[in-house]
Amino acid sequence: MPNVDRETLRQELLDLFEAGFDIPLPEARFTELALRVFAYQFAHNPPYAAYCRRRGVIPDRLADWRDIPAVPTAAFKEVALVAGDPATARAIFRTSGTTRGPERRGQHYVLDPALYHASLVPTFEALVLPDGVRPPMLSLIPSPADAPDSSLSHMVGVLAQRLGGPDSAWFAGQGGFERARLTTILRTHEREARPVCVLGTSIAFADWLEELRAGEERFRLPLGSRIMDTGGYKGSGREVAADDVQAALTELLGIPESHQINEYGMTELFSQYYDARLRDRVRGVTGEPRRKVGAPWLRALVVDPESLAPVPPGQTGILRHVDLANLDSVLAVQTEDLGREVPGGFELLGRTPGAPPRGCSLAADQFLAAARELQV
Amino acid sequence: MTLDGFWLPGLAPADVTAWETRDLGDTALRWPVLTPESLARVVRAITRARAETLARTPTAAIVRALDAAAARLADPADPLRRTAEAALPAVTGYAPEMIRLGLDRMVADWGAPALERLLRAELPDPAALDRFVDDPAGAGAPRAGRRLLRAHGPELAFHVFAGNVPGVAVTSLVRSLLVRAATLGKTAAGEPVLPALFAHALAEVAPDLALALAVTYWPGGTTELEAVALDAADAVVVYGGAESLASLQRRLRPGARLLEHGPRYSFGIVGREALDRASAPPLAQTIARAVAIFDQQGCVSPHVVYVERGGEVGPEEMAGLVAGALADLEARLPRGRLSPGEAAALHEARGAAEFRAIAGQDVRLHTGGGTGFTVAYDADPAFAPSCLNRFLWIKPVGDVGEVTAHVIPYARWLQTVAVGGIPADRLEPLAEALAAAGACRIAGFADAPWPPAQWHHDGRGPLAELLRWTDLEPPQR
Repeated sequence: MPNVDRETLRQELLDLFEAGFDIPLPEARFTELALRVFAYQFAHNPPYAAYCRRRGVIPDRLADWRDIPAVPTAAFKEVALVAGDPATARAIFRTSGTTRGPERRGQHYVLDPALYHASLVPTFEALVLPDGVRPPMLSLIPSPADAPDSSLSHMVGVLAQRLGGPDSAWFAGQGGFERARLTTILRTHEREARPVCVLGTSIAFADWLEELRAGEERFRLPLGSRIMDTGGYKGSGREVAADDVQAALTELLGIPESHQINEYGMTELFSQYYDARLRDRVRGVTGEPRRKVGAPWLRALVVDPESLAPVPPGQTGILRHVDLANLDSVLAVQTEDLGREVPGGFELLGRTPGAPPRGCSLAADQFLAAARELQV
Repeated sequence: MTLDGFWLPGLAPADVTAWETRDLGDTALRWPVLTPESLARVVRAITRARAETLARTPTAAIVRALDAAAARLADPADPLRRTAEAALPAVTGYAPEMIRLGLDRMVADWGAPALERLLRAELPDPAALDRFVDDPAGAGAPRAGRRLLRAHGPELAFHVFAGNVPGVAVTSLVRSLLVRAATLGKTAAGEPVLPALFAHALAEVAPDLALALAVTYWPGGTTELEAVALDAADAVVVYGGAESLASLQRRLRPGARLLEHGPRYSFGIVGREALDRASAPPLAQTIARAVAIFDQQGCVSPHVVYVERGGEVGPEEMAGLVAGALADLEARLPRGRLSPGEAAALHEARGAAEFRAIAGQDVRLHTGGGTGFTVAYDADPAFAPSCLNRFLWIKPVGDVGEVTAHVIPYARWLQTVAVGGIPADRLEPLAEALAAAGACRIAGFADAPWPPAQWHHDGRGPLAELLRWTDLEPPQR
């Protein structure tokens, strides 16, 4: 087994991330880095190594990054998937509850926040701020102080600090959504024609838009304003059509479709994907399909839901991610999210963990609800 | 070929301006796009047909008609049965073998012997549906005045179906017709075929009675159409989740009753008395079958089987036996198609179990080559829901009496407890505890997937709750 020195590898990765989003990463170089990250994890992440051995995979035998065993997201709920000592974690990001009870949440140990920050900042810059503006970040997501477990809060905290203009602020404190304060700041920017960037979960936007509609209130946010939403609507118990929200964002906030950017990320990954449309527009690229793109050090693979083997481009399957920024956990993560490879990226077709029963048996999330109610 | 997924008496050709169709490969299903006005005409037509015909038909004749319709669907050579066998795999995703087995078992519930058992089980004297009869409970009572009893069903029962388990909807329609209700069935997207075929069968064998039955599909939550049915129905039978239930409940007409059959779950218990070398393998086969039937989608399908320690065959070995039996079933009773989400959920559940093992928990996975079946032995006795589609948890207990405590948190949704190898003297206290917790039914593994026609469906009398009673106490001179 190659002896992989973490410091060397870490520095190469940081250099790669800092060189930026636009520097192409040749396939051979990605493969080489992925296999070294894998070898490092195989040596230092015992549960992951056990998982790989059960599949007969050891680093020496691998030549293709696509063959790196991917762990299901459920694995983060069962064991500490850390390459290194979990006790040295600087933070632990947690997912929401699961059917195994509210305590069984996925945990992503953050040993080295610098890697996380080095990946997320240039990605956001390239895809959400491709025009180089630095608008204030107005967040409908709780601040890291209010939600220390949330990778999303942490991410927005870093973005506000590194890329946010003055007036960046949080509007989802412990007292709930501070709508009046947000309205005031938006009106000021509207008056002064200074663009803003509003960030929130898809559900938070849908709720806010509903309130705006009910109150017959609307904004004409200045040109260059944008929103970043994340998470989708599935599992929220509400029927929201993404198209309706898109239209409402234009109608009630004055934000054109091109400036509505959906983020696709997960607690288990340090790197994120975003809609490519604003970047395409700024670069004068037209006619590209609607798609998600990520940094060169993050790759998506669409696999067959039954066999888990890669499917040809264009065919629907479930998404697997290989993220070099996950140096200290597991780089390959298998999701339950549906997607399809398209030229230059992939299309996200649905995030529906735990397909609902087709018959009359109780759904797993109903067991979860019962467990929550009774605190078992 | 186009198959009519509806039976709508009173609908004139001029009422139909548009059709909705669903492609099923070789065939297509079609429904007329109803308007509130056209549905109202159907409701008036079946209500009138009830008053004129169904309400005046003796119970015995209704039983004969339903029996004859069931016979059509029971006969492998009958065109309606052949249509069912061809369309149901495409529409539900179940394998053709599963559909044939399911049809054979469900159709028996609609035959005369089953219906007569149901009537006897639910009414003190089934003749009360035809005329005033002496209260059997009054016989021999001291000094009591004579009492006569008469039972009536609803004028219009509106059934809203859910899920894709074939036959469940037809059973509901049959119960409703048996108590002489004009019956309107809104089929589920998952299984819109069999209720329509049953209506076509009834229309051929008993055309007058079939005029009191209407069946069709529209997308759930089409409130304008639901309003027409809800304004007219004095009984509403709802299958499906809490949301559709709550939505319909708000819109009932005053005095109407709502009978709900929401999603439920089941599990199994194996006692050490069946865990000897000779008895364990056949029991494992029966358990595997209970898991395989309708790919675990039914509310009577077990999520977990608790196996008692102390037998010759331990819980862990039993897990291997059940897995072997599921492997054997893959050819004879293949699993149906999975959606991408379902396949992904299976891998996710397997991965979670595997990492529990890696983390040092006593967990062992038994799988075949593909996603066909999974048996996960887990020494942690805490109840764990299955992702279904032939994924079974096997968990050990020191004594069968310990099981109830593990399911108490979810007891309000408990349907059937399948049992094996528990002798009567041990079963009785266990059954008492499970009954007190909320179980609706306790049955052997072989019977668990197929509740008898007269079962207390979700713990209630399915005919009795449709009825209203008139007591006649003739004045003493």
